[in-house]
Amino acid sequence: MSKRFTELSFIIGLFFIILSVILLGGYLITDALKFRINIFTGCAFLVFGIFMVMVKSGEE
Amino acid sequence: MKLHVADYLVIILYFAFVVAVGFIIKKRIKSSNDFLNSSKNIPLWITSLAFISANLGAQEVLGMVASGAKYGIMTVHFYWVGAIFAMIFLGVFMMPFYYGSHARSVPEYLFLRFDEKTRGLNAITFAVMTVFSSGISLFALAKLLEVVLGWDFDVSIWIAAGIVLIYTFVGGLTSAVYNEVLQFFLIVLGLSPLVIVALQDAGGWEQVKANLDPKLTHAWKYMGSTDSNPMGIHFMSLIFGLGFVMSFGYWCTDFLVVQRAMIAKNMNASQRTPILAAIPKMFMPLIVVLPGVIAIALSQPAMADKGYSIPVDAAGNMDYTMTLPSLITHYYPSGLMGVGITALLASFMSGMAGNVTAFNSVFTYDIYQAYFMKKRSDRHYLRVGKMVTLFGILFSIGTAYIATSFNNINDFLQLVFSFVNGPLFATFLLGMFWKRTSADGAFWGLLMGTVAAALTHGCTVAEGKGGWITELYTVSSGMGQAFIVAMVSWVVNFFTTIIVSLVTKPKPDSELKGLVYSLTEKPKYTGEKWYQKVVPLAILLIILTVLLNIIFF
Repeated sequence: MSKRFTELSFIIGLFFIILSVILLGGYLITDALKFRINIFTGCAFLVFGIFMVMVKSGEE
Repeated sequence: MKLHVADYLVIILYFAFVVAVGFIIKKRIKSSNDFLNSSKNIPLWITSLAFISANLGAQEVLGMVASGAKYGIMTVHFYWVGAIFAMIFLGVFMMPFYYGSHARSVPEYLFLRFDEKTRGLNAITFAVMTVFSSGISLFALAKLLEVVLGWDFDVSIWIAAGIVLIYTFVGGLTSAVYNEVLQFFLIVLGLSPLVIVALQDAGGWEQVKANLDPKLTHAWKYMGSTDSNPMGIHFMSLIFGLGFVMSFGYWCTDFLVVQRAMIAKNMNASQRTPILAAIPKMFMPLIVVLPGVIAIALSQPAMADKGYSIPVDAAGNMDYTMTLPSLITHYYPSGLMGVGITALLASFMSGMAGNVTAFNSVFTYDIYQAYFMKKRSDRHYLRVGKMVTLFGILFSIGTAYIATSFNNINDFLQLVFSFVNGPLFATFLLGMFWKRTSADGAFWGLLMGTVAAALTHGCTVAEGKGGWITELYTVSSGMGQAFIVAMVSWVVNFFTTIIVSLVTKPKPDSELKGLVYSLTEKPKYTGEKWYQKVVPLAILLIILTVLLNIIFF
C-alpha cells in the first residue's frame, strides 16, 4: 500500500478527494459555502479522485 | 478581495502536494541523468500530459483568455493551426531523430548533426528564452495575487518563486513532470465550471454570438484583408507565420516541450507522446479561449445587467490580462474560488517549472559541460544542475519585472518566440531532411535569422512597441508583429543556410546516420492495434482538426 503513495495517479486521486471533502464538507457546515456549484464541483472531483486512486499508473 | 478559510485550505493543500511530490521523487534522484533527464522511465500517459502541460503556463491560460477577449475566436488559430499539425509532425517525422540519436537535449542534437558552434548558439538563445518565459509566468502570478488577494507584488514574486524552487531543486525534471500532470488536471477541472456558469449567464453560445461583432466569432471568414479582422493579419501571414514558422518552430524544436517526449520509455512512446497530447490540446480552447470571448460579450452594453466587465488599467484601456481572474472573482463563490485561484497558481507553476527544468538541462549539458568542465564526475554535474535551478529562478525573477511593461503577456511571449524559435525551425528542417546542409550553413543561417528577427522588430511598430531602429512599417497588433518577425527570420535563415551549405563542406554520410531522414532506418511497428500506431492516429487527428476549422470558419 505504501508503494501506491509514490504513484502519480494515486497522488492526483488523493488530491482531488481531499479537495472534494473541502467543498462538500464546507457546504454542509458553513453558510458561506452553501452554493450549488460547490456541490456539483465537489461531487465531480470526488468521482474523478476515486477513479484516479483506483487506476494503476504503470510506473516502475 | 477577502478569501474564506476554505479557499486558503485549497491553496495550502495544493502547495503541500506539489512540495510533497518533490520530496517523493527525491528518493529516486541518484545521478545527474535522474535529475536532468528523468532516466527515460516515465509512462506514456504522463509524458503526454506533461507535454501539453509544460505549455499550459500562465501565458497559455491568462494569455489565451486575454487574446480570446482581444481577438475573439481567431485565437483558436493558436491551437487548430498553430499547434496540432506541428505536434503531429514532431511525432511522426522528428522524434525518430531526437530519440534515436540518444541526444540529451535539442542543442545536443544540433551538435551531433552539425557542430559545437551551432549547439552553443542555440543553447544560449534557448536559455535566454526560457528565463523570459519563466519570468512571464512569475509576473502573471504576482499580478494575480496582488489584484485578487491584495498581496504585495514583490513579496508574491519571491514567495511563489521559492515554492517552485523547492520542488524543482529536490526532485528535478521528474518532479516538474509529475507536478505538471497534477497541474493539468487542476487547471482543466478547476476552470471547467467557470466556462459553464459564465456561458449560462451569457445566455448560451448563440446569445454570445448575437452580442458580438461577427469579426470576433469567426475564425477564418474575415481574414481576407488585414483591415477586416481584430488581429490585423492576412490569412496567408497566419498560415505561414503562425501555422508554419512559429508553430513548427515552437512545437518541433523548443526543448521545453520536446524534452517531455524525449524522456519516454521507448521510440514508439516518444513518437506517440506529442500525438496523444494533441487530443487534449485540440479541445483546450474550450477552457482558455471561450472564457475570453464570453467576457467580451458580457462587457457589451446589451449585457450590462449581468454586472460584469473586463477590468481597465490606470490609463482606462482594457486590461485583457486580468480577464480570467476577473471572471473567477465574479462567478466563483467561496470554496470554488480557492479552486479557481489554485488553478491559476498551477498554471504559473507549471509554466515556470517547465522552463526552469529545460534551462537546467541545456545549461548543464550544452553550456557548462560543453564549454567549461568537460570531464567531471556525475556527482559534480548533479550539483551544478541543482545550482543552475537556483540561478534559473533568480534570473526569472529579474525578467518578471520586464514583463510588467506589456498589456498582453501573450504578445510579449510570441515576440520572444519569434526571435528564437522563428529562425530555428529552418535549421532543423534543412538539417533533418537535406543531408547536404553543412555545419557552417546551419550556424550562419541561425545567426543571420536571429539578427533578421531583431532588425525586423527594430523597424516595425505595433501598439507602441518595436521601431527602435526606425519606424518603417506599422502593424495593428503585437501578435501580427510577432508573426512578421518570425517569417522574416525564418526566410533569412532558410536561404542563408542553403547558400552557405552549397559553398562549404558537408559532413560525410557515415557521420549522419540516425540524424538525417534519407540515411535513417524508419521505425516499423507491427502487430500493434491501430491506436498504438503513430500514422493512423496522426491521420485521425488531422481530419478532426480540419473539421473544427470548418465548423468555426
